[in-house]
Amino acid sequence: MCFTQNFWNLVVSGLYDGFLYALIALGYTLVYGVLQLINFAHSEVFMSGGFASYFILHALVGTNQPTGLASVGYVALGVLGGGAGGAAIAFLLERVAYRPLRRRNAPRLAFLISAIGASYFLYNLAGKEFGRNALEIPTLFTNGPVFSVFGATVQTIYVVTAIAALIMLVIVDRVVAMTRLGKGIRAVAQDAETASLMGVPIDRVISQTFIIGGLLGGAAGFLFGLNAGVIFTMGFTPALKAFTAAVLGGIGNIRGAVLGGLLLGIVENLGVACTQASWRDVVAFGILVLVLLIRPTGLLGEQLGRAA
Amino acid sequence: MKRSIARIGAPVAVAALALTAMGGAGLASASTSHASQPTYTIAYEGPLSGGNAQLGLNMKFAVQLAVSQANAGTTFGKLAFKLKFLAADDGGSATQSPSTAQSLIGNKSVIAVVGPAFSGATKAAEPLFHAANLATVSPSATNPALATQGWSNFFRVVADDNAQGPGDATYAVKKLGAKKIYTVDDASSYAVGLVQAFDQKAQQLGATVTHQEAPGTTQCQAGTGNVQQYGALATQIQSSHDPVTFYAGYYCDFALLAKALRADGYSGQLLSDDGSLDPHYVSEAGTSVASGTVISCACTNLTKAKADTTFSSKFKKLAGFAVGTYSAEAYDASNTIIATLKKLGTASIKRSAVVKGLHSIVYTGLTKTVHFQKNGNIAGSTVYEYKVENGNIVELGPVNQLVG
Amino acid sequence: MSTVRAPTPLLRRLWLSTDARRLAACVAGGLVLAVMTGPEGSGTAPTSGFTGSLGNSRVIGFVVFGVVLWLLMTARQRYGTEIRAVSDRLSAAPRRLLPDKRVRGVFYLVLLGIAIGYPTVLNGFWQEVLVDQIGVYVLLALGLNVVVGYAGLLDLGYIAFYAIGAYSAAYWTGALPVHPLFHLNAFYAIPLAVLAAMLAGVILGAPTLRLRGDYLAIVTLGFGEIIEIVANNLQGVTGGAQGVIGIPHFSIHFLGVVYHWGLGSLPYYYLLLGFIVVVLIAFHFLENSRVGRAWVAIREDEVAAESSGINVLKYKVMAFAIGASTSGLAGMVEASKIGFVEPGDFTVQLSILILVLVIFGGMGSLPGAVIGAAVLQFLPQYLRVHPLFGFQQQDLYLYLGAILVVMMIFRPVGVFPSRRRKRELGLAEHGVGSADAMESTTGPIS
Repeated sequence: MCFTQNFWNLVVSGLYDGFLYALIALGYTLVYGVLQLINFAHSEVFMSGGFASYFILHALVGTNQPTGLASVGYVALGVLGGGAGGAAIAFLLERVAYRPLRRRNAPRLAFLISAIGASYFLYNLAGKEFGRNALEIPTLFTNGPVFSVFGATVQTIYVVTAIAALIMLVIVDRVVAMTRLGKGIRAVAQDAETASLMGVPIDRVISQTFIIGGLLGGAAGFLFGLNAGVIFTMGFTPALKAFTAAVLGGIGNIRGAVLGGLLLGIVENLGVACTQASWRDVVAFGILVLVLLIRPTGLLGEQLGRAA
Repeated sequence: MKRSIARIGAPVAVAALALTAMGGAGLASASTSHASQPTYTIAYEGPLSGGNAQLGLNMKFAVQLAVSQANAGTTFGKLAFKLKFLAADDGGSATQSPSTAQSLIGNKSVIAVVGPAFSGATKAAEPLFHAANLATVSPSATNPALATQGWSNFFRVVADDNAQGPGDATYAVKKLGAKKIYTVDDASSYAVGLVQAFDQKAQQLGATVTHQEAPGTTQCQAGTGNVQQYGALATQIQSSHDPVTFYAGYYCDFALLAKALRADGYSGQLLSDDGSLDPHYVSEAGTSVASGTVISCACTNLTKAKADTTFSSKFKKLAGFAVGTYSAEAYDASNTIIATLKKLGTASIKRSAVVKGLHSIVYTGLTKTVHFQKNGNIAGSTVYEYKVENGNIVELGPVNQLVG
Repeated sequence: MSTVRAPTPLLRRLWLSTDARRLAACVAGGLVLAVMTGPEGSGTAPTSGFTGSLGNSRVIGFVVFGVVLWLLMTARQRYGTEIRAVSDRLSAAPRRLLPDKRVRGVFYLVLLGIAIGYPTVLNGFWQEVLVDQIGVYVLLALGLNVVVGYAGLLDLGYIAFYAIGAYSAAYWTGALPVHPLFHLNAFYAIPLAVLAAMLAGVILGAPTLRLRGDYLAIVTLGFGEIIEIVANNLQGVTGGAQGVIGIPHFSIHFLGVVYHWGLGSLPYYYLLLGFIVVVLIAFHFLENSRVGRAWVAIREDEVAAESSGINVLKYKVMAFAIGASTSGLAGMVEASKIGFVEPGDFTVQLSILILVLVIFGGMGSLPGAVIGAAVLQFLPQYLRVHPLFGFQQQDLYLYLGAILVVMMIFRPVGVFPSRRRKRELGLAEHGVGSADAMESTTGPIS
C-alpha cells in the first residue's frame, strides 16, 4: 500500500491534526446536543481564540524566546487566553445570532443562515481590524524532534498539543458527566421541555454550553496558531474538518467527537500519502459523505444525554 | 393567479428604478484640461479587495508614487503634460475584470494601464483592452499563454514562468549537483506553470523529479488549502531523502512548509521562486529555519542600488507599509509608460501611439532594463539567485554566471 | 455561576426593563456600525481601527442613529397595528392600481420595454456590469430560489453547478485539453451544459437529500469545495489552476439567420434577459402547479406530506435539479461571454453571496429573487464608483454577513416576501409546521 512506507510517521502527524479536530469538534457536538443545531459560526470562535492568544502573548513575550518553566507557563497562558477569547465570542454569538431566533421559535433554516451571516461578519471584521496578513505568535519553545516511536519522529509541538488537548478533553468529559452543570446540559439535551418544567434554567444552560465549546475551540485556535500563525481566514477549513469529525463520531456525543477527530486526522494523512496533498479535502469530504450515507448517526451514536 | 402575476410585476418596477439610478451613476468622465498642458491618466488595475488585496496594494502605491514623482519632475525632468493616477479594483477575479476594464476603456483620459495584476484577470480583460487598443503593462502576470494570444497591446515587465523555472532547475542540477529533486507547487496559476517548466528542465538535465501539489492555504493570500497538509507532506519529503526541495508559490506558504520540513529533521537544500522573495519569508519561518534557503527572481536585488533605497523610503511614506512583492515591478511598469509618453512628445497622444511607442522603448528601471519583445514579453530576462544569510536575503548573482 | 446580579436596585430595575435593554442593544448596534464603516486596523496596531472609529466625533452620529432606531422600534411596538395597516395599504397599492389583467399585461410590457431600451444609453462599464454582475446573478438567484425558497433546502455548494455549466461550455467547444467527439458551436452546447448541471444535481441530490437539512448544507458545502479542487487539480482535463482560455462567443447559423455574439456586452445582456423572462414565466407556473404545491406541503409539514402520499425525495431532487440546471445555464453564458474560465471563479464565498441575494429579496418569491439580486449586485458596483459612508470594497462580505444576521432577527421573510412564505413563517413561529425542509426524510433518528 502507498502509506505503509511512512505509516507511523503519518499516524503521528495525523494524531496531532486529530487532537486539534477533536477540540473544535467538541464545540459542535455540545451545541448540537442542547440545541439540535449546527453552530456554523464555530469556525470564528476558533479564530477569535487564535487572535486573543496572539495579542496576549505578543504583549507579554515579544521577541525574547522563553525557556524552561517559563515556556510551559506561556503555553498555559496561551491556552487560557485563547479559551477566554473563544468563550467570549461564543457567548456573544449565542446572545445575538441565536437567542432572538430561539425566542421566536424560528425554523432551523433561519438559524443556519444567521450563523453563516455571523461567521462572515466576524471573520471579515477580524480582517479589517487586525490586518489581512498572517500574524506570528511569538516563539514559546524550540520546535524539533523530541523522541521517536516505531521510527516516527515526534515533534515538540505534537507533544504540547497532545498534552494540552488531553487535559482539556478529560476535564470536559468529567464536567459533563459529574457536575451539576453537566447534569443540566444532559437534561436539556435529552428533552429541553421536560428539563425546563423540572426547573432547569434552559437559557443559562445553553449559554454555558456555548462557553464550554468556546473555551475548547479558542484553545484549539491558539494551539493551531502556534504552528501556523493566525489570520482572519484561519477558521474555515479546520472547522469544516472538525464538523466532519463530529459527524463521524456521532454528533452530540462527546467521546464520539474525540474519536472522530483522531480518526479523521489519521485517515486524512494516510490518504494524502496515496494521492497528492491537494486531494486532502476531497478525502475528508468523501469520508463525510460515506459516513452520512452509511451510518448517519456516526460511529458511537448521537445522544449527548445517553452516551456522555 | 391574478395576485401572483402582480408579484412578478413589482420587482420589474423596482429593477427599473435601479436602472434609473444607474444612468445617473455613470463613471466620472475625463477631466477637462484647462491649461495648455494635456492631462493623461495612468490607471492601475489589480486586486484592491478580497484575499489578494495586499498584493494589489503593493503595486497600487508604486504606480501612484511613479505618477506623483513624474509630475513633480524628479524622475523625468520637466514634462510637457500632466499625469493623473487612477486605481481600479478587479478583485483579482476573472469575472470582475471585464467590467473594470470597461470602466478604464470608457474613461477617455486613460492613456495606458499598469496591470492587470493577475494572469486570470488578464485573460478575461485583455480582449477588451485589445479591441480598444489601450496599452496594458503588467507588473506581475507571468502566465506564458498571455503572450501567445496575439494581443499587440499586451506587455509585461516580469519574465514569464518559462524563464524562471528552467533557471531554477539549471541552478539545482548544475550548481547544487542534485540528482533527485522534490518539487511542490501551491496549485496557483502562477506556480503550476512555473513548476512545470522547472520539472521539464530538470528532467532534461538528468535529474529525477518527484512532484506534489499542495494548495496554498487560508493562511496565505486567498488559498483554500489546509495548513495541516504540510505535516504529512514534510514526512513524505523527508522519507524521500531528496537533497533538494523546490517550492513554487508564495512566501507565507513556503514558510509553513520550511518549518514543517525542518521540524521533521529534513536537512536538504530549499529552493523557491520570486513569490517567496520577501523579507516576510524569513520572519515567518524564523531565522534558523530560513537560513540557507535559495530563492530566485528574474529581478535584481532591490536593496542594492542607491536609487532603490530612495524608492523604498518614498514608498513607505506614501503607502504606510514597506515595499512588497511586485512593488518595484509596478514602479518600473509605470515609469516605462511615462518614458514612452515623454518620447512621444507634446502633441495630444493617442492610445494607439502609446502601444506603438512601447514596442520600441528602452528604459532602465529598478529591476532591469525594460525592453519588450514583439509578443509583449520582456527581452533578455536574466534569472538571479538569492540566499538567506543571517536573516537577510542577499544576492548571489545571475544563474548563468553561478553555474559557470 | 449564578445569574448576573446587578449591584444596585436601580441598575437591576434598568436591566429588567425591556425598553432600557433594547436601547442598549440599539446603541450597541450603532457602535458596531461605526466600527464597520470606520478605518482599518492592522496586526501591529490592533486597536487602531476601533479607536479610529469610536474615538472621535463621528461616533456621535452613530449613537444618535442607535437612539433613533430605538425610538422607531418603540413607536412600532406602541403603534404597531396602525403602522402595519398603513404598510399593508402601501404594499397593496400596486395591486389595486392594476386591477385588470389587461392593464397589468401592458404594465409588464412597459417594464420589459424599459429593460430592453434603457441599457442602450448606458456607458460600457454599466453595460458590462449588467451582464457579468447583475444578469448572471439574477439568473443564479432565481435558480437557488427554487431550492431554498420553494423546497426549503439549504444548498451551500450552488456555485458548483455554475462551474459545471461553464466547463461544459469549454468542453463542447473544444477549449479544454480533453476534446469531445464532435465540436459544437457554443450556442448549441447550451442544452448540453444545462443537462450536465442537472445530472450533477440529481447525482448529488438523490443520495444526500435523504439526509437531515443541516447535514445537507454541509455535504453541499463539501461538494462545492470538491468541484473547485477537482477543477484545480485535474490539469489534463480542466486546464488546472491556469484555467481555460479561448471559449468562443455564441453564434447562430440557422435557417439563413446568422448572428454572432461578439465582445460587446449588450447582445449578451439581451440573451440573458430572454433567459430570465423565460425562467420567470416557467417558475411562476411551476410554483402554482402540482409540483409547487407538493413543495409547499413538504416545507410546511414533511411528515404529513409523506403520509399523504407525496414522494418527498422525488420532489426534493426535482427542486435540486431545477436549481442546478439554472445555475449551469448561467455558468454557460458567462463562460462564453468572458471566453475564459478558472477554478478561482467558483469559491464557496460566491455560493454564500447568492444565498444572501435570495434571502435579502425574500425566499420563495420570484420578485424577491430578482430584486434582491439586482439591488445587492448593483450597490457594490455603484459604491465602487461613488464610495459613500466609508464603504470599502474589501468589506463587502462584512456587510453581507451583517445583513444576513439582521434579516434573520428582524425580517426573516425578506424585503419582498412571497405571501405564502410569510404566512408559513408566522405559523411556524406559533408552533404549526416547520417552514423548511430541514428534517431528515428517512433518517433513523428524529
